Amino acid sequence: MIKFIDISKTFMVKKQEINALRHVSLDIHDGDIFGVIGFSGAGKSTLLRMVNALETPTEGIVEINGSDINKLSFNELRKVRKDIGMIFQQFNLLESKTVYDNIAIPLVLKRMSKADIEKRVSRLLEFVELSDKKNAYPAQLSGGQKQRVGIARALSTDPSILLCDEATSALDPETTDSILRLLEKINRELNITILIVTHEINVIQRICNQVAVMEQGNVVESGSVLSVFSKPEQGITKRFISTVMPDKIPDSVMEKLKQDIRHYKIIKMRFLGDNVDENVLYFINRHFAAETNMLFASVNELQKAVVGIFILQIIGDDTEIDKITTYISEHNIQWQEVKL
Amino acid sequence: MIDLGVPYSQILLAAEQTLYMVFISLAIGTFIAIVLSVILVLTNPSGILKNTVVYNLVNTGVNIIRSVPFIILMVFILPLTKMIVGTRVGTTAALVPLVIFIAPYLTRLFENSILEVNKGIIEAAQAMGASHFEIVWYFILPEARGSLILSVTTGTIGLIGATAMAGAIGAGGVGDLALTYGYERLNFPLMLFTVIVLIVFVQVIQSVGNYFSAKVRGH
Ligand SMILES: Nc1ncnc2c1ncn2[C@@H]1O[C@H](COP(=O)(O)OP(=O)(O)OP(=O)(O)O)[C@@H](O)[C@H]1O
Ligand SMILES: [Mg+2]
Repeated sequence: MIKFIDISKTFMVKKQEINALRHVSLDIHDGDIFGVIGFSGAGKSTLLRMVNALETPTEGIVEINGSDINKLSFNELRKVRKDIGMIFQQFNLLESKTVYDNIAIPLVLKRMSKADIEKRVSRLLEFVELSDKKNAYPAQLSGGQKQRVGIARALSTDPSILLCDEATSALDPETTDSILRLLEKINRELNITILIVTHEINVIQRICNQVAVMEQGNVVESGSVLSVFSKPEQGITKRFISTVMPDKIPDSVMEKLKQDIRHYKIIKMRFLGDNVDENVLYFINRHFAAETNMLFASVNELQKAVVGIFILQIIGDDTEIDKITTYISEHNIQWQEVKL
Repeated sequence: MIDLGVPYSQILLAAEQTLYMVFISLAIGTFIAIVLSVILVLTNPSGILKNTVVYNLVNTGVNIIRSVPFIILMVFILPLTKMIVGTRVGTTAALVPLVIFIAPYLTRLFENSILEVNKGIIEAAQAMGASHFEIVWYFILPEARGSLILSVTTGTIGLIGATAMAGAIGAGGVGDLALTYGYERLNFPLMLFTVIVLIVFVQVIQSVGNYFSAKVRGH
């Protein structure tokens, strides 16, 4: 369990204060894949680096499994750090060492015997599917392969927490996907709590179960990915989410609507989790004296659940439209009117 | 064979003396320079053991010695030389000024080599729970190794130049041979020969340095 309690961080640069974090409080539970998203400079890395005390708060407390990390002696801190793996955007591998030696370093620091190191590194290489690159140097690897080495290195000491700072931001979409799958496997099979900071919303969408949105040092919104994605409150959150889950009427459709002189109402419906049920639409068309016209639809998978967004034009008189919206509400479907 | 005006045994001895001076002072100087440059990098204002007092002390010391020309340095520290090796003249006596000359020079070169190491690697090391010594030993030095070797190569070549002046305190060596026999006795073939020998020395050292530097960089 990682607890950020009212964390603030102020940097002094040329006598000028930079408030990198302002009163941030977050709880990250064991087994979570917790994502922190925000634009560049929001304070994400600063927050992440507090977990292993690479950065210390100006105010507030960082608790790891119940103990204040900034109250530890340097030697105690080093022990805790060995229980927290970390991977980086730029991989930070030793260019002068082979893949094998890179992964072995944390174990050498633990004074593990050569034979035990050999065994562990071989297992890790298998886990990240790089056994054939054992003797290669980082310069001979692709970005995705380098990140796999970084991951194997971070896992070598059997940590209970893995910190990822923009771990996929230097990678192409396909490679990103394979790294995200690997992180998911790590969370599931090794039961490691993962904290990811990123500016890519699709990373959050793909693997996180919890999310916090940061803007200028503040956490402006947080909660389960399903709840935040299905009901974003803040402008920044809506902007992030709309890039992976579009919810706008396409321009060409909009043009036609403007010329539509009939009496109608446009509603946007969000089907959440497992209540996606196309029968509702079928039912509306069968049982109400109104014409419906689908203006936009998207269906997205989130956390193995489905989030559907439908924008429907209902053409008819007011009483009939009201009956339909009541019917939709009765089926626990969120909806709101869209004004042109 | 060409007659160079001096016995081959004397030429051989001179070469031996130069190699002796270069390699002994290089070995000691490199060791000192590694220690000093690591101290500089760790204690500098953005280092992981930021310490203004230590940093300024070492930094200023290095600057002061670096600003004294070798020939003056050599004469200036004669008393110190006498204290350490018991005599002011001879090949061994020359080692003291040579070390004092080369150590700060290498310190600067090494400092640059070490500063080139990607900061992210030091951060990764800290995140792994490495101690300060471990960060230097397992991360910084291996990563800087290729560049350090090139710095040693540059330093070695500088040392060869300095040994020629060490002749002034009776240290012998190839440079001294060229000066006393070649220049003062107008022995042109000998002078040419020593120049060629020095060029070969420098070329060999540079090639060996380049080879090992490339090798430890691993690609
Ligand atoms: N060591 C430092 N000294 C001074 N200012 C810093 C330092 N580290 C971070 N900052 C400042 O704090 C703010 C937050 O930086 P941080 O690196 O946490 O942002 P970020 O969200 O990770 O951004 P990015 O997506 O670009 O990595 C920025 O304004 C940055 O300039
Ligand atoms: Mg960052």
